[in-house]
Amino acid sequence: MTPTDQLYERLRASGLDFFVSVPCKLLDGLLGRLRGDDDILYTPVSREEDGVGILAGAYMAGRKPALVMQNSGFGNSVNAVCSLLNYFEIPVIFVISHRGSTGEPVEAQKGMGDAVTGVMAASGVSTLSIDHPDQLPRIDSAIAAAFSEGRSLGILLPFSFWEAS
Amino acid sequence: MTGLVRYQIIEKIMDQITDALVVCTIGHPCQELFKIKDRPGNFYMLGSMGMASSIGLGLAMASDKKVVVLDGDSANVMNMGAFATMGFNTPGNLVHIIIDNEANGSTGFQPSFTARNVNLDQVAKACSIPNVTLVEEASDITPAVSKALAADEMHTLVIKAEIGLMPGVGIVPLGAVDIRDRFMKAVEA
Repeated sequence: MTPTDQLYERLRASGLDFFVSVPCKLLDGLLGRLRGDDDILYTPVSREEDGVGILAGAYMAGRKPALVMQNSGFGNSVNAVCSLLNYFEIPVIFVISHRGSTGEPVEAQKGMGDAVTGVMAASGVSTLSIDHPDQLPRIDSAIAAAFSEGRSLGILLPFSFWEAS
Repeated sequence: MTGLVRYQIIEKIMDQITDALVVCTIGHPCQELFKIKDRPGNFYMLGSMGMASSIGLGLAMASDKKVVVLDGDSANVMNMGAFATMGFNTPGNLVHIIIDNEANGSTGFQPSFTARNVNLDQVAKACSIPNVTLVEEASDITPAVSKALAADEMHTLVIKAEIGLMPGVGIVPLGAVDIRDRFMKAVEA
């Protein structure tokens, strides 16, 4: 299985059932799988912060929500993360292509790529970097803990994950 | 203009709401809603300006209940992209009500974009919301809300309001997790 297929299977097996997304080249295959999945609710969103709001609503209706996006999208979401998700203890799983990580061809991605882990930590969101598909089983307990503790989680997927064979 | 301040408009809206879920935008609207009709089915969004429409969309997609968003003009300009997402999904159980007083009321009534160059009803139409109504007469508020609540298609109402606050309205004396917990029970009920 490709890294994309392994990731998709693992996310679905973890119980996540309401996905929203903002595109990234690295996420194209995953977004195709989500669009074709009739057993989840899925919508593209205009901006990551819009997605945070939608997922907060979905969570309060009993769903297990995830936002699929580039790391740059966390910068677009910080206020909603702090004053909506954290304040009301609403957990969202951020599934993040980590642009600006080793192997990044676009120089403009470096700034937010370097900043994202610190910005997430300062926003009270714990992160888990999955550097290779073999590490995917680690997301199960992290996702379960996020929902049981009512706090959000970021799963960072750098180039090394996507390029693994 | 309807000649009414937002408080009076929220009163007219809440007069018609029985079991619908209500998501209310930040600031004075939450305080006014709490005073007019506190109920577990109200979600007082005390932070995250702009997010009420997005929260309402997620709720409406994930629940069969009617969802009413009480929103403001500046909050909608701040999260204008949400119109694109709402127009993409158009859940039939979503009623998005924008009370447009053409000002940032909670921060001192600075003029907002709708006072000069933005028509939110036209934004909603351009984003393919199927039913959009601009309400400029006070006598049209109750029929417009009633029609939207009874419909099985998404509605956006832009209700023009006067600037002004009612005396005797205070903060919402509830904790965030309490608001969330009782709201989630109301969603489930």
